Amino acid sequence: MESRLLKPILAVYVGLFLLFLYGPFIVLGILSFQQGPEGGPQFPIQEWSVFWYKHILGLAPPSRVSPLPIGISLTRSLTLAGMTMVTSTVLGVMAAQAFRRNFKGKSAAFYLIVLGMIVPGVLVGLGSALVATTTGLERHWYSTAFATHVVYTLPFAFLVMLAIFNRFDASVEEAAWSLGVPPATTFRKVTFPLIFPGVLSAMLFAFTLSYDEFSRTLFSSGREQTLPLAIYSTFAVEIHPNVFAFGVLTTLFSFALLTVYAILMTLSVRRAKRVAIQEAV
Amino acid sequence: MRAHVAEGSVLRLEQLTKRFGDRAALDKISFSVNSGEYVSLLGPSGSGKTVLLRAIAGFEAPEEGRVSIVGEDVTRKPPHLRGIGFVFQNFALFPHLSVFDNVAFGLRNGGDKRTESDTRRRTLEMLDLVGLNGLETRGVHQISGGQKQRVALARTLVIKPKLVLLDEPLGALDANLRMRMRVELRRIRERLGIPFLHVTGSESEALAMGDRLIVLDRGAISQFGPPGEVYEHPANPNVAKFLNCYNVFDGSVQGDAFVTNHGPIPLARRVASSTPAYAVRYDRLTTRADAGAGLSAAYIASEYLGSAIMHFFETPDGKVVELEHHLSNGPPDAYEAGRTYRLSWRPEDGIAFV
Ligand SMILES: Nc1ncnc2c1ncn2[C@@H]1O[C@H](COP(=O)(O)OP(=O)(O)OP(=O)(O)O)[C@@H](O)[C@H]1O
Ligand SMILES: [Mg+2]
Repeated sequence: MESRLLKPILAVYVGLFLLFLYGPFIVLGILSFQQGPEGGPQFPIQEWSVFWYKHILGLAPPSRVSPLPIGISLTRSLTLAGMTMVTSTVLGVMAAQAFRRNFKGKSAAFYLIVLGMIVPGVLVGLGSALVATTTGLERHWYSTAFATHVVYTLPFAFLVMLAIFNRFDASVEEAAWSLGVPPATTFRKVTFPLIFPGVLSAMLFAFTLSYDEFSRTLFSSGREQTLPLAIYSTFAVEIHPNVFAFGVLTTLFSFALLTVYAILMTLSVRRAKRVAIQEAV
Repeated sequence: MRAHVAEGSVLRLEQLTKRFGDRAALDKISFSVNSGEYVSLLGPSGSGKTVLLRAIAGFEAPEEGRVSIVGEDVTRKPPHLRGIGFVFQNFALFPHLSVFDNVAFGLRNGGDKRTESDTRRRTLEMLDLVGLNGLETRGVHQISGGQKQRVALARTLVIKPKLVLLDEPLGALDANLRMRMRVELRRIRERLGIPFLHVTGSESEALAMGDRLIVLDRGAISQFGPPGEVYEHPANPNVAKFLNCYNVFDGSVQGDAFVTNHGPIPLARRVASSTPAYAVRYDRLTTRADAGAGLSAAYIASEYLGSAIMHFFETPDGKVVELEHHLSNGPPDAYEAGRTYRLSWRPEDGIAFV
C-alpha cells in the first residue's frame, strides 16, 4: 500500500532532480545552435545553425564578435591538469602507501594532507599570491598555480588510494617477498597492478578538479590565464552563444575522458577473463 | 621445560619472544628443525601459531631472541633475503597472473638472474610435480580450491627454499580434498627433501603428517616429540585436551587414588604437571566388563565416524565423557538413552597428572 504511493512520488522526485541537474546544460546546448553572428544568447532560436561552433574553431568569417581566447588557454589548462594529475597521483599513492604502516605523527600528517581540500579556495589563492609577492616570486600558471592545484587535488588522490589500500590483502606482497622478490620489485609487479584501478580513479579526480579549478587559479596564476579564467573574462564583457558552443565541446571532451577511464578500468579489471579467452582460442 | 636446540639444524629458534602491547604472543620459544624433517605445529586458536611462522619468515619483528637459518642469524634480515618459503591459508595467489606466471614469479623476479628458457623448464617441471599440467594459461580465479593450493605450493617450492612454512594450508579445503592433499603434500616433500614446518588446527593431520609434533599453548611450547610419543604420553592436561582423543577429568590426588567429582580412580601412571588432572583415551573405555577403574554416566547419543563410533555419556554433574568403539572390534553395543552405565578402563591406561 505504502510502496504503491511512495514509488510514483519518488519517481517524480528523481525526474525533477534530473531536470534540475541537466536543465541548464540542455538550454545551453540548444542555444549554442543559435544563428550568428546577430543571434543572442536567448530564446527564441531565430534559425538553427552551427555558426558559433565555426566561430570557435576560427572558421567563421570575421565579424564584430571577437573570437574566444581559448586556443592558448586551453593548452595551458590541459598542460596544468596533466602536470597536476601526475604529481598528485604519484604523491597520493606514495602517501597512502606510507599510511599502511604506523608511524609517529600519523594522524597529524593525515589532517595536514586533507586540509588542502577543506580550506576555502579563495583563501588559498589569496594566500599564495601574498606569499609570492612578499618573497618576490613571479606568479605563473605552471609554478604558483600548479602548487595550489597539487595541494587541492592531492587529498582526493590520497583518499582514493587510502580506500583502495584499506581493502588490499597484504598477504600477496608477503608471498612475493617470501619468494625472494625485493620490496621495490614487489611493488612494481604485484602491488601496482592490483591497485591500478584506484590509481586511474585518482588520476581522473586530479585531472578534472584541476582542469576547471577557478578560485585558487584566479589569484595564483598571474597574467597568463587558464581556460576557466579566460571564459570568465569574456563573460565580463558580453555574452555570445559561442560560449555555449564551447561549453558543449568541453562537455563532450569530458565524456571522452570518462570513456577512456571506463575502458582502461574494464581492461584492468577483466584481465583474468582475457587470459581465459586466449586459452579458449 | 626441555630446550629443543640441536646443532646442524636448518632452522633454529632461541628464546624467541614477540609481544603485542604487553601481552606476549610468543614467549621464549626455542626449538630447531633438522634437514629433511617434517614438523607439524598444533595448538588451539590464538596460541600464536601464525605469529610464530610470521616471525620466522620475517613478516613480524620479534622483541627478543634469535632466528637462525642453516647456522646464519637472520633475525634482522628482511623476508626476501631469508630463503624461507611461506604457504598461506588463503593461498595469496597473484590474482593478475596466470597459473604459469604465478609459479614462475619467484624465478623471474628473485635475486638470481636466469634465462627465460631455464625459468620455463623449471616451472613446467614443478607444475608437473604438483599435477597441474594443462592449466598453465588459466587465471587463478578459474581453478578449484585444491588446484589453487597446488599453485601456492608449486610457486613456493620452485625456488628451492631452505625451509617451507605452511599456515593451515589445507584449512580452506573440504574434508575429502584435505585427505588427498595430505598424501600429495607428503609425496611432494619426500621428492624434494625440503624441511616443512606445518601449522594445523587438526590433531589428526598433525599426527598423520609430522615426523615430529610441536604443541603450542598460549605462546609457549608444551611438548615437542614424535607424534606417537605425544599421543601416548601427553606432557600435561592441556596437551591431552588438544589431541582431542582424551577424556580429561579435574580433581586431586588423595593417597592411592585420583579423586574426581565422579568418584575416586585408582592411580597407575603418574606424570608431573603444574595442574592436577586425570586423562584417559576415548578408545580405552568400555561398558562390557569392569576393568578396574571407572565411573558412572548416562548415555546421551552416538556419532558414526565410518571406522568407529563415538558414544557420548554424561556424568550427573554434567561432564561429557566420550567412548570410541572401533568397528574392527565387532558391532557396537546398543545403549538406551538416559540410562546410566558403568564406563571402565584398565588403571594403567589412565594418566594422572599430579
Ligand atoms: N597484529 C596483531 N596485533 C595484536 N595482537 C595480535 C596480532 N596478531 C596476532 N595477535 C594476537 O596474538 C595471539 C596469537 O595469534 P595467532 O594469529 O598466532 O593465533 P593462531 O594460533 O594462529 O590462531 P588460529 O588457529 O585461530 O589461526 C592472539 O591472541 C592474537 O590476538
Ligand atoms: Mg593462525
